[in-house]
Amino acid sequence: MDQASVNAVPISSSDDKLSSKVLTEQGQSCLRMLLRVWFEFERSLSKVPIVQRLEQNRLSIEDYQKLLLNMRQQVIEGSRWITQAASSFDRDFSDVRSEVIGHAYDEHRDYEMLERDYVASGGKLEDIQQAQRNLGSEALHGFMMYRSAQPNPIDMIGAMWIIEGLGNKMASQWADIIATLADDGDSITSFMRYHGENDEAHMAELYELIDRVCQSDEQQSAIERTAKVVGKLYLLQLEEIDNV
Amino acid sequence: MSVYINSTGIHLPGEAIDNDGIESILGLVHGKPSRLKKKILASNGIKTRHYALDAHQNTTINNTDMAALAATDCLNNSAIAATKVGMLSCATSQGDLVLPGFASMVQAQLGLSNIEISSSHGICSSGMMALKNAYTNVALNEHDAALVVASELPSRLFKSTRYEAVDTSKPDFNAEFLRWMLSDGAGAFLLENKSRKNSFRIDWIKSFSHADIHPVCMSIGMPTNTADTRTWQDFPTYATAEAAGALMIRQDVRLLDNVVKFGVSGFLTLLERGLVNINEIDHVLCHFSSKYFKSRIFELLEDAGASIDESKWYSNLYTRGNTGCASFFIMLDEFARTQSYKAGDQIMCMVPESGRFNNAYMMLTVV
Repeated sequence: MDQASVNAVPISSSDDKLSSKVLTEQGQSCLRMLLRVWFEFERSLSKVPIVQRLEQNRLSIEDYQKLLLNMRQQVIEGSRWITQAASSFDRDFSDVRSEVIGHAYDEHRDYEMLERDYVASGGKLEDIQQAQRNLGSEALHGFMMYRSAQPNPIDMIGAMWIIEGLGNKMASQWADIIATLADDGDSITSFMRYHGENDEAHMAELYELIDRVCQSDEQQSAIERTAKVVGKLYLLQLEEIDNV
Repeated sequence: MSVYINSTGIHLPGEAIDNDGIESILGLVHGKPSRLKKKILASNGIKTRHYALDAHQNTTINNTDMAALAATDCLNNSAIAATKVGMLSCATSQGDLVLPGFASMVQAQLGLSNIEISSSHGICSSGMMALKNAYTNVALNEHDAALVVASELPSRLFKSTRYEAVDTSKPDFNAEFLRWMLSDGAGAFLLENKSRKNSFRIDWIKSFSHADIHPVCMSIGMPTNTADTRTWQDFPTYATAEAAGALMIRQDVRLLDNVVKFGVSGFLTLLERGLVNINEIDHVLCHFSSKYFKSRIFELLEDAGASIDESKWYSNLYTRGNTGCASFFIMLDEFARTQSYKAGDQIMCMVPESGRFNNAYMMLTVV
């Protein structure tokens, strides 16, 4: 049995039961909703042409370079919306703010790893540094900056859910497939692998936050909406890779 | 109009075969014991199963006859005469004949006159398609009683000679995988528009197919060489198709985990639609193909905060084997005969299929 492919959902593979971190009925309902949204997102993801090539072992090294080049523009901006979200939480949410700041700190230089992978896979540093955001990245970034500027943007947990889930998927599924494209596969997949390892802990933190930020049906539907919008725009970003 | 499963029946051919006995039935490929067998059996947890083959790999009973025996068993356990059956709905992944439909053959064997028939084709979930077709027909008052039969005889695909006929020197894990998973058997349900003693009311049957997402996961008809896009009938002769491996039953194990994800995803959808309330479920009958997948389903449900206590889960996979579309029928039959349950109990049924990812669900209430 191929054990490597089994953890591609935004959950922990460890023995700790993540759901035990979510105790309230509202929180449990929110968790089930988030998992449902994830599964829907993951299905749509598998239909994006470049992801199809990846998952069906038809990805070329050029494809991978394009993938990194297009993701980098969003990753480098990621720390901006996270820090903005942190500053949008007022004193009543200072505990949430602390979590979000920690998260921002952990990830704000991830893009450097991504750039090294790009160079190791044969790309030129100036190309990835000078590339423009694609249409999807533009929309995704715009939406994130807008939502994270709202007062107490608890719905951003929906955005983090999708993005952390993706990090988990990259580390547990995509990195192994991509590693076969180069003689030294590890040298071109450090971002995906590291990002995923980190996301395991981030996922646990997200689970812990669910009870805190989702205490009403209104909050749950705001979280659902943001998770779905972020999923859609992320798909657009990946679809646009074949158009640039 | 409510519809009830009022009786069940099965046929399991021959003696139960334990793990050590498998190759004495299916044969040693090129005279050598398999290297993968132990690993795959440890993962699926199956201890005994049945084969409609003898030690010389001759068929001891064909698929049609097994289906008819299960149907007869079911009618013998019922309160009605065979002449009252208005519809025969059958499922199999492979009949004895390529044509006509399986239900025609089963009807002839049963000697049922002038009835409506339906053949459902597919893999594990085809049994649920046949069941749903019968259920909707009875619910719509088209018939007072319908017989549903699901039967599988995959062992014919696993004879050592099949593997020896393929022109290759490399071991083909995906082609061998199912040899240690699947076995033979048949099951039947009688559906009626009124309850009797020991009835299960069908509250609903729903299914979600995801064939549009991933490539084929379990199949017969594609050659070993994945770059060759021909399917079995595109070859000049069946002999060349067989040599190219296009008649082997294969599982793309890399894609298998998707079955679990889609299965849990469908379950979450049913929760959202209010069709299932976790706290009201008394029994879970899930056709998981192996112990390994059972634990994966558990983990995922747990992480989703939607877990159902393990004491409520029932399966006879480990003793009856994985009989594809017949599995669920054989499971409910044994559950009904051997487990304790009471009026009002809710039985959540799940049948995931890896073929190209179809997941069927059903809710039964004991009346």
